[in-house]
Amino acid sequence: MISHRQGNAQRISALDERAEALHLKRDMGIADARAMHPSIDIVEADPEADRRLLEGLADWCDRYTPLVALDGADGLFLDVTGCTHLFGGERVMLDDILSRFFHQGFDVRAGLALTPGAAWAAARFCGDRIIAGGEEEALLAPLPLAALRIAPEIRASLESVGLRTAGAVMAAPRAPLARRFGASLLLRLDQALGRLDEAVSPRLPVAPLSVERHLAEPVTLTEDIERLVGLLATTLKTDLERRGEGARSLALLLFRVDGAVSRIALGTSRPMREPMLIQKLFHERLAALEQDIDAGYGFDLVRLSVLAAAAFDMPQTDLIGETTDDGADIALFADRIRARLGEGAILRPVAVESHLPERAVAIIPFTEAPRRTTPPKRPDRMQAPMTIFPPERPIRLFRAPEPIEVPATEMPEGPPLHFRWRRALYRVTRAEGPERIAAEWWREAPSDAAISTRDYFRIEDADGRRYWLYRQGLYGGVSRIAPRWFMHGVFA
Amino acid sequence: MAMNAVARETVFALRRQIAKIEGTLPERLQAPAAAPLDADANAIAKPDLTPGADLTIVRRGKAAALPDAFLPIGVERLDAALSGGLPKAALSEIHGLETRDAGAVAGFALSLTSLILKQAQGLPVLWIGTTEIFREAGFPYAGGLHASFGIEPGQLLFSEAPRLLDALWVAEEAARMTALAAVILEIRGNPQRLDLTATRRLHARAISAGRPVFLLRQAAEPEPTAAPVRLIVSPAPAVPRATVAGPLAGSIGRPAFTITIGKSRTALPGQFTLEWNPDERAFDERRGEEKRTQRTENPVPVVSLSRGRKDPAAAPGAVLAFPAVGGSPTARDQPSPGQRATHLGPRRAG
Repeated sequence: MISHRQGNAQRISALDERAEALHLKRDMGIADARAMHPSIDIVEADPEADRRLLEGLADWCDRYTPLVALDGADGLFLDVTGCTHLFGGERVMLDDILSRFFHQGFDVRAGLALTPGAAWAAARFCGDRIIAGGEEEALLAPLPLAALRIAPEIRASLESVGLRTAGAVMAAPRAPLARRFGASLLLRLDQALGRLDEAVSPRLPVAPLSVERHLAEPVTLTEDIERLVGLLATTLKTDLERRGEGARSLALLLFRVDGAVSRIALGTSRPMREPMLIQKLFHERLAALEQDIDAGYGFDLVRLSVLAAAAFDMPQTDLIGETTDDGADIALFADRIRARLGEGAILRPVAVESHLPERAVAIIPFTEAPRRTTPPKRPDRMQAPMTIFPPERPIRLFRAPEPIEVPATEMPEGPPLHFRWRRALYRVTRAEGPERIAAEWWREAPSDAAISTRDYFRIEDADGRRYWLYRQGLYGGVSRIAPRWFMHGVFA
Repeated sequence: MAMNAVARETVFALRRQIAKIEGTLPERLQAPAAAPLDADANAIAKPDLTPGADLTIVRRGKAAALPDAFLPIGVERLDAALSGGLPKAALSEIHGLETRDAGAVAGFALSLTSLILKQAQGLPVLWIGTTEIFREAGFPYAGGLHASFGIEPGQLLFSEAPRLLDALWVAEEAARMTALAAVILEIRGNPQRLDLTATRRLHARAISAGRPVFLLRQAAEPEPTAAPVRLIVSPAPAVPRATVAGPLAGSIGRPAFTITIGKSRTALPGQFTLEWNPDERAFDERRGEEKRTQRTENPVPVVSLSRGRKDPAAAPGAVLAFPAVGGSPTARDQPSPGQRATHLGPRRAG
């Protein structure tokens, strides 16, 4: 028995047959139930886990149709339009679904109809029925109002005027119904009867292309999965070629015999359709995920989907039939690294128009064509203002500037004489600066401009190491906060 | 030094023997017999090799047989000591003694990369590092790399791996790519995983691809690896900037490094102070004497930097000290900040 908290009381939210046989009911107080039957088992409801389970089932239902939608907390919509012939007809498909769920240990009711509303009503109130087109009205007429998927308040007020079945509502004149109970009642009614279209919004975006293979004998070995990926990719290639496209993002779905679904997605730097390369990428990804994928009793359905595709440019070959394209090598290399180590494993710097050193270079994951953060201006965008001597910049920059202790400076605004950084004392022999860098007022408005102003110094210590230090804040600012010193970078 | 010479003799004898066993032809290199390769610091006695000493050194690997198998560093003595420069298709170790020397070590590796990019223009450079080293020594900053080494941000690729194993895997994958100009692998300390086998794999891939792999090892002890060359880099004080009116006192000029050869095919020891010229993108060697005297003479800036001003406007460019020209009024007696005339305020150059 599952309990949940409603208001101040623990109430029963779900119960099994044996509990029902004891005349316990939903929404009964736990205290009452205990008083009647002290030996009952009560488990706290976990809506999160229920949700996860339902999503897992939805993933699994992906094997029947890509259009799977969640329905409330306990239902799934499957749009099987055009899919039933793949499974040998509606009846066979429905039986297959029900028997597979039964073997997984679920008690499932299913209904199949032309409209989502009718299917919903059939599943919940008739059980395992296939409603042919035109039979919706006959199906709904004897059913209670709950079968119309309307809000409880509307249902209560309909019942209060004596309309207790869907048939009674359908027989009533429409205009007064709409006036009294709102448009939603008629909307639901029309949707159930197929007068209005209702779209089922799928959980996952529908892949433009997917190929799959049902396996009589489940596979467990990673090598077998990789070989299957190669085979599927070969099939995919012809489809992609027909569309003149290449895959930018691919997903491999592995349906385990017992219902768990593993979804392995990867992106590519440039459109790709070569089966060998796709297999190579999935090889890296599977190698990285070796621990996470539990083959269990094996996978009986393997599907390869193209999640995103882009126009594919055929490379020009020379007379020997070879192409010389270094970019392709780099792109493939980057894809493999990312497939194995994650999206951020290979990075590239991009110049950003900012004078703050840490913002001037953004590090973004590698993509073939970098998205421009700013419109292209001059080829030498790195040197923001044209000066005869561009300000020197360090070759390494600390992610977060590290605070240093500066006991004394020769003069208040000058460079330090000594400083302590990472528990070591450094003697400054020479210094260049200051280079003043103020905060970007158009991004954030500091309360006191003097606090966020930095004076940078190039420092050389007694051993010849060159550092980039800065003093944050000015002496005698408005807020009277003493300036602090930071180590920000290292020069060659 | 004599001991050193004996050691070399032994090394060469052993190499000849290896060549005989392997059946490869020993190759004669133009390594100087008794060149004064030691730096001025310890150049008291020249290595007294016997005049007829056989300097046969075996180069192995097919890539080494190519005419442009070596990257000349551009400094005669160092190139001679390395018998032509750094091998291009090989793993080269660049060591730093402490993590705080990371700037110098990275700077030297980048200078070498810059030299390579002169020949292989436009190819990207991949810099692989563990999360640890990027946190400890700072992430490479593309803004500085462009200005000092001429490496465009579009040419740079970084790979940050949380584990050493992943970093090594990326490096191995990258080492066999001919589409990369160079691979820099940066590791801190002496991890057990980076052993002879791991380096041999990297070296083998570098040889077959014909591209250099620079193994930057920060705060590491030298240990046996497959790299034919190991250079130990430490920072060297820079000379002041050169101006028309002579060196600019108190300024920090071009980056300088002290290079010690830890291991090479020729087994010649040596220590060199190199200076990187960012404009020419070339190395200059600095002979020690004149530099040293300058530093003792001029340890502090003659002209004090900006002071006494309440809120000076942010100036574009670096604020540099005024050159110490004889007879300049600012150089002699500095008035205290309070009574300083405004027109005598520190002047900006650049």
